[in-house]
Formats: sequence, structure tokens, C-alpha cells
Amino acid sequence: MTAAPTRQVRVAPPLWRSGNLIWNFAQRDLKSRFKGSALGWAWSLVVPLASLGIYAVVFGILFRGELPVLPGYGKPLFVVWLFAGLTAWTFFASSINAGISGLIGTGALLKKIYFPSYAPVLGTTLAQGIQSLIELGLYLAVLLVLGNLGWTWLLIPVWVLVLVVFVASMATALAILNVYVRDLAHLVAVALQLLFFATPIIYLLKIVPTSWHGIPMRLLIEWTPMSTFVSVLRDLSYCLTVGDWRKWAAMVAWTLAALGFAYVVVRRRGPDVGEAL
Amino acid sequence: MTTPAIQVEHLSKRFARAEERRSSLKERVVRGRGVRRPEFVALDDVSFEVEPGTTFGLVGHNGSGKSTLLKILAGVFRPSAGGVTVDGRVSALLELGAGFHGELTGRENVYLNGAILGMSKKQVDAAIDEIIDFSGIEEFIDQPVKVYSSGMYVRLGFAIVVTLDPEILIVDEIIAVGDEEFQRKCFDHLFRLRSEGATIVLVTHSMGLAAQLCENAGWLDHGRLRTVGPASTVIDDYLAQVNRQEADRADGRPAGGTLVGATRAGSGEVTVGDVEFLGPDGQPAPILVTGEPLTVRVRYTAHEDVEDVALYLGFVHENGIGIAGTNTRMQYGPLDLAAGAGTVDYTFDELPMLPANWRLSTAVRSRAHTMDLLEKAFPMTVRAKGEVENGAVRLSGSWSDPQPADDGAAR
Repeated sequence: MTAAPTRQVRVAPPLWRSGNLIWNFAQRDLKSRFKGSALGWAWSLVVPLASLGIYAVVFGILFRGELPVLPGYGKPLFVVWLFAGLTAWTFFASSINAGISGLIGTGALLKKIYFPSYAPVLGTTLAQGIQSLIELGLYLAVLLVLGNLGWTWLLIPVWVLVLVVFVASMATALAILNVYVRDLAHLVAVALQLLFFATPIIYLLKIVPTSWHGIPMRLLIEWTPMSTFVSVLRDLSYCLTVGDWRKWAAMVAWTLAALGFAYVVVRRRGPDVGEAL
Repeated sequence: MTTPAIQVEHLSKRFARAEERRSSLKERVVRGRGVRRPEFVALDDVSFEVEPGTTFGLVGHNGSGKSTLLKILAGVFRPSAGGVTVDGRVSALLELGAGFHGELTGRENVYLNGAILGMSKKQVDAAIDEIIDFSGIEEFIDQPVKVYSSGMYVRLGFAIVVTLDPEILIVDEIIAVGDEEFQRKCFDHLFRLRSEGATIVLVTHSMGLAAQLCENAGWLDHGRLRTVGPASTVIDDYLAQVNRQEADRADGRPAGGTLVGATRAGSGEVTVGDVEFLGPDGQPAPILVTGEPLTVRVRYTAHEDVEDVALYLGFVHENGIGIAGTNTRMQYGPLDLAAGAGTVDYTFDELPMLPANWRLSTAVRSRAHTMDLLEKAFPMTVRAKGEVENGAVRLSGSWSDPQPADDGAAR
């Protein structure tokens, strides 16, 4: 009589115990990104600040005077307004792009060793997150210098947490699906561009017509996922109000939807990524 | 009552054929979801067990499903049907340094690879000195691995795995890399793991290695397990079939009958037309077997009466070196041939040539004058049944029993 062994070949630790692996992937991303360039890490600040400057010059001239007043400053300040939107958007867009290419890039490895396919994607999201956190810190530092400080800042960590879950879920789901349908990367690039202009980052929601050929444009734009995130961040940090509770609810709803989407994709498609790559 | 270290039960693996896979949206739209996709069966109902502490070899020709099976054992692929259960932690060595990132330094890559292999940072911290030491590249460890030579790359890759101390190790044919010294290190390590009670599954094309390392083996043929059992039996079965297949391919033409890329030289009074290799049964044998009787039959044509000639045979190894030769003069002295065709036989009781693709040269000479010369003209495929010694030819010496030195002489 022999007893059958009971263990499965694949040791799949739960998500919260994959921390070391995810962190190592994040380190790989961070270390390799600026290696060999003269400015190194500084690039991670120079690039977003440069685009902030460009948008500020181009659109600041167009929308002058339309902005709400920055309480601590006494008058509206477009650069700061823009900074909030760009920081949130950059984290979202670059995490998705980096996740998609990151998983394809890890392909050779996934064909040789088993590890959860979401680990490299979460690693790149984490790496992006660290950069975005530095940007966010810079943004808050600017507000601090301007004296625009309020108790609502205490809610910013909550906002960050929700955003991270939303972005990580979207990046994971899209990266895994892209392994099976390679066109997704191109579609996502187009969709991100559309979404960027469909989110009030570089313009104000109030310049959007309420209805355009019968389409409720303003309503649509107001409630896109990133619109809700950007609007809540501006409320918390710029306007120093808690903001509309419906925005919070929408933000959480989008996040739960993204999380569910990612869960289904990881469960159904995740285990065979090594084969499809 | 023992629990097998690995139990494979009715394992099957099917792949969608690449041309049927819809990996772009256009294909999905244009071709629909596909009517029942034809599949490629890589593994078909494979079942076996590996006892703990033993080494199991997987043999089979290319494309027989060995690597697919290893990938399933390593957890990279999921079975389509059936399953694998194990009793212990599995580590796989499918490709050394697969997880290296070119821009990172050797040291950074060790941490990354360690994490991928399931080690915690603490474990890597504890092992890093041993890893660097084993790899023998301490002076380059803080340089990006993109500047490494391929040898350094695999050294570092192997060194990481060495420190894992796996309970079950899955090894693909990767030991055949690196220089002699490093290969020896790898083998030493495998032997050490084996003696420490690790269970090892390895794929190899080297029957010598399989016989040396493995207690048991399985032979995969087109995704099916042909035989499984003691390594020596399985290897013999497998080699017998390989020999048979090669013979089948060579069939239809008598071996040696074809002149391959040889130019004929000599004055041409006598010419060699053809050489036949007759096996133990007296029939032309397409594959010659070490240690079995063999007759080399040379057909010649004398275009006129000639006197004082000799027929020469030369055996040339595949590495180009003429190993041995013989001629009729050594046995008969000078030979006189009447005009017309005839044959001369040279007989081995036991063929001493070891497995290789030999070539046979023939010559007819009269003193120093060459009448006919065909250099390396006739292919001679020699194969073995079972394991054989190294070298080109089998030696006929014998060993005595060990004689302990007597005390008086020792002092």
C-alpha cells in the first residue's frame, strides 16, 4: 500500500505573501529604468514637471479666470490645479502601459519558472506608484508653501489607497488579456488618449456643453473613472473640502468593478499565461 | 508504506496548434471563435511514480514530450487532463539565468532570481556569499549582467539554484554548458543532492549520464510513455529502437554500397567497385554493432591480369583520424589476380570499433604503385547495444583482481 502524495506542483502563495516577489519586480523596474542615463533618478521628476510646464503655458492662457479660487493663495492658480490632475492621470496611464509591456517582457521567465502572472504587473505598478508618490509629495509641498493646508488632507491617504487598487486592477487585467489578444496594447493606447481628453485635467468641466447633438457630454465626462478620482483629489487638496459624496461613491464603485474584472481575468486567464506568451 | 515523491496520473497535455490560435483581434473577428480546434497532443495518458530519494531519467527523441512533461512537473504548464502530485518542495532548473535582467548587476539579479524562485530576502542574504563563491565570478558581481560572457551567465544562474537545497529537483539538459571545471562542479552538486536524499527528475540525451545518475527511467515516444522501469532496461530498449529506426532509414541500399564524395585515384588496372558489410546473420547490415561479428566484403574488377598486388582497407574515425588499417599482403604475401571480377572478405569475430560514423577507405597497390584508391569512400555506421566505453576502439586487454601489497614489500 502506498499513499498518494497530496501537494500540488504549483505553490501559489496568496497575494499578500507575494510581497517579496512583487517588490523585487518593482526594484528591477526602478533600477533598470534610469541606469546609464546621466541624470538618473532626476528624470522621473524632470519629465512630469516638463509636461506640467508645457500644459500650464498652453492651457493656462486659454482658461485664465475660469478657475475656482485657491483659498490659501486668495486667487486661482492654474498650474497647481493642473498638477493635481496630471499626477493622478500619469499614475493611471503609465501603470497600464508599463504593466502591459512588463508582462510581455517577463515572458521568457514565465515559460521557465512558475510564479503568479500578476506579480510582474503589480511590480511595475508599484514602481510607477513610487514615482507618482514623489510627484504627489511635490504637489502637496507646493500647496504647503502657498499656505493652502486643511484638515481634508487627512483623507488623501484614503484617496491614494482607492486609486492604487483601481489602477493595479486595471493594469493586471489588461496586461493578462493582452497576452491572449495582442491588439489590446494598441487599443489601450488609443483608449487612454481618448480618456485623457474625456477627463477634466487640462480644462474645466464647466466649458463642456451639457448636451451636444443630444449626447449628455458633461454628464459623461463628469463620471468617467479618472474624472471622479481627479475631482476628489482637487476637492481634498486644492479646494480644501470633502467634496461631493457621490464622487466618492462613484470612485469606490469604479474601483470595485475594476477589482472584480481583474479577479475574473486572473482566475480564468492568469494560470496559462506561460503557455500563451 | 512509502509515499512516492512524485505521482503522475493519467497526465495529458494538448496544445492548440499555433495556426489555430487567435492571438489578434482581427483573427478573432474574421475567423470567428473557431470550429473545434484541432489540437496537438504533446502528452497522452502518462502515468508513473518516482520514489523519494531516487533519480528518474526521461529519455526520448526530440519532440517526444519530455520538455512538456518537465514544464508540467515544474508547474509552468497546467495539465489538460490527469494530474501531478508531489511530496515536497519542487525546484526547477529549466534554464539557467532565465530571470536575469541585463541592466541589473549580478548581485541585484541574484536577489531578483531568488525571489522568483520563492526565497525570502533573508534567505538570499544568508546565501549570497555561497552563491558568489560557487559561481566564481566575484570580481564581476557588481557589474551589469549584460557585460557577462555566456559562461558567466550560466554559472551565476546555477549557483543560485545550488543554494536552494530542493527536496525535488527538476533538471532539463542544461548541465552540458560551461567549461569542464564548471560541468564537474555541477555534477558533483547533483551527486551530492542525490546522496542527501533529494529526488531528481532529469531529461537527458546522454545515455551515459542517464545510466550513471538514474535508478529508474521513462522513455517517451510521441507523448506516450513507452517503457518505464530500471534505467538500464529503459535505455537499452530506447537505444535498440533508435538503432532500428536508423537502420530503417538506411534500408533499401546496402550499407557501404554508396560512394560518398570520394574521388578515385590510381592507374586503374584493378578497381574496387563496392563494399558490403555482412552482419552476424550473413545478410547486409545497415547498422554495424560493436562487439558483433562482421564481414567486410570487397568487390573488385581486374581489367587485366596483374601480379604482386595487395588490397588495403583503412578505417577512419568520424573525427578524421585513421585509426587502423590492414592489407592482404600481411596475410598472403603478394597476390596475383586474373582478369575479371571477384570478391575478398575481411572478417571480424567481434567488431572492435566503438559507436561513431566511420568511413572505410580502400586501395589496391602493387609495391609502391597505386592502381586504385578510394579514400573515406564507404560510410560505416557503428552503434552499440547498451552502454559502451569511451574512445574509438574496444581494447582487448583484461584486468586482474586487486592484489594487496604484502607487508614485507610495503616496508
